[in-house]
Amino acid sequence: MRTAVLLGFRLRQEVLEWSGAWWFLLTLVVQAVVAPLIGLFVWSAVYPDDPAIARYYVAVILVTLMTESFEQHTFSERIYNGTLSHELLRPQPVVVGVIGMNLAIRAWLTLLGAPIVLLTGIALQVGFDWWAVVRSTPYLVLAAVLVFLWTFLLSLTAFWTDRVHAVVGFGSQLVFLFGGTAAPIGLLPDGLRRVAEVLPFYGMSGLPAEIAAGTRGGGLLVYQLMWIVGLVGVVMVLWRVGIRRYTAVGS
Amino acid sequence: MKLLRLLAAGFSMSLRRSVAFRVNLVFDVLLAFTGLGTAIAAVLIVFTRADTLAGWSKAEFLVLIGTYQLITGLRTTFIDPNLSWFPETGIREGKLDGYLLQPAPSLFLSSLSLSSPLQLIQVVLGVGVLAWGIGVADRSPGAAGVMSWLVLVMAGTVVTWALSVLLACLAFWAPKLQLDVFYHSAWQLGRYPTDVFARPLRILLTYVFPMALIASVPSTALLRGPQLGVLLAAVGAAAGAAALAALAWRAGLRRYTGATS
Repeated sequence: MRTAVLLGFRLRQEVLEWSGAWWFLLTLVVQAVVAPLIGLFVWSAVYPDDPAIARYYVAVILVTLMTESFEQHTFSERIYNGTLSHELLRPQPVVVGVIGMNLAIRAWLTLLGAPIVLLTGIALQVGFDWWAVVRSTPYLVLAAVLVFLWTFLLSLTAFWTDRVHAVVGFGSQLVFLFGGTAAPIGLLPDGLRRVAEVLPFYGMSGLPAEIAAGTRGGGLLVYQLMWIVGLVGVVMVLWRVGIRRYTAVGS
Repeated sequence: MKLLRLLAAGFSMSLRRSVAFRVNLVFDVLLAFTGLGTAIAAVLIVFTRADTLAGWSKAEFLVLIGTYQLITGLRTTFIDPNLSWFPETGIREGKLDGYLLQPAPSLFLSSLSLSSPLQLIQVVLGVGVLAWGIGVADRSPGAAGVMSWLVLVMAGTVVTWALSVLLACLAFWAPKLQLDVFYHSAWQLGRYPTDVFARPLRILLTYVFPMALIASVPSTALLRGPQLGVLLAAVGAAAGAAALAALAWRAGLRRYTGATS
C-alpha cells in the first residue's frame, strides 16, 4: 500500500515535470509511430482490399504508444552519471522512481499520439468492434508490463557496459521483427511464426493489437503471465548482481 | 584542399580514440549486423507473400536497402558525431564558442570535424547488400547506370549533410527545439521506396523532406537506367540545399551571442 502511494506521488511529479517538454514528447510520438506506419503502408500495398490490415496496424500504433519504454535513457544514464546514488539513498525501492517516470511518459505519449491514431483511423476508414477493444484491455496491460520488464532488463546491462543503447537497440529489433510490427504474426513464414509465438515479443505488441482488431479471440493471458514471471525473476537477479558491482562517482 | 586535410586529420584522431575501446567495436559491429539483418528480414517476409511491392522486385529492394545503408553509414560516421543534439552540445554547452575561435570555417568544424570511424562498418555492409541485390537482379546495371548511381549517392549525401545543418541552425532561433529524434525517425522512411507510401506522404518525401533522393532515386537509376532530368534535378537539389545550409548558418551566426552571454 505504501509503495502504491509512493508510486502515485512519483507519477504525479513526473507527469508535471514532463509537461514542460511537450515538444520533445511529440518527437517521441513520431518515433513510436513510424515503424508501425511503415508496416501499415507496406502490407496495405500487398493486401489492398483487406480492411483487417489497416485495423491491425492502427491498433499496433496505439499499443506501441501506450507501452513505449525508455529505461536506457531514464535509468541507465543514472548509472553512468552516478545519480543512481541519490535514488539508492531514498527510503523507497529504486524501481518506484523508474516505474513512475515510465508511466508518466506513456501517459503523455498516449495523450499526444491519440490525434494521430484517430486521424489515421479516419483516413483509412477503420472501424473497430468496441467489445473486442474492451477485451484487449488485460492483454494491453500485460503487454505494457512485458515491454517495461524487457527494456529495464536490457538497461540493467549498464552496470557492465557503456553500450547500453546498442543492447536496447538490439532488443527493439527483436520486438520489431517477432512482435508483429514488421508483419502480423499470421503472415510470417511457418518456421518464423512458430518461433515468434513462443518468444515474449508477440505478447508485447501483436497479441493485444490482434485482439483489439478482432482477428484473434483471446486466450493467451497465461503465455503473457508466464513471461512476466520469468522476466521478473531475471530482472531481480540482474539487479542484485549489478548493484553490488555499482560504484558511485567519487568513491 | 586545406579542409580535406583537416577532415583527414580529424578522422585519424577519431580512429585512434575509437580503437582504444575494442569492446565497443564488437557492440557496434553486432548492432550493425542485426540492424541490417532485421531490415532485410522484414522485406524478405513481404516477398514470401508477393512477387513485387509497389512495382519493386526483391532485387531492387535489396539494392535500395544497400544504398540506404551506405548513406546511413556515411551520415553516422561523419555527420551525426558533430550535429546530433546540436542545440544542447553546440549552443547550450558552448561547444560552438570553441569552434568560432579556431582558424577554420566554423560550419566545417561544427559539421564535419569529428567522426565515428567504427560506424563505417555500416557502409561496408551496405555495399555487401548492394552487391547481393545486383547479383540476383534480372539484368546487370550498365556503365551509365553505375555512373548515375554514383552521382545520385553523392547528391544524396550532400542533401543529408545540408538537412542536418539546417536542423542544427534552428537552434540559433529556438535553442530548446530538439528535433534529432524526429529526424532519425523520418530517416527510417528512406528504407522503403516512396511508391509504397500514400500520395501526400510521397510528395512530402520527394519535395519537402527529400528522403527519396537518399535511396529510391539512386536505386532506380542503377537498375532501371539513368534519366537525365532526374540527374540534373538531384544535382540542382544538392547544390541548392548546400547553399541554403550555408546561408542559414551565416544568418544563425549573426544572431548568436555566445553560450554564456
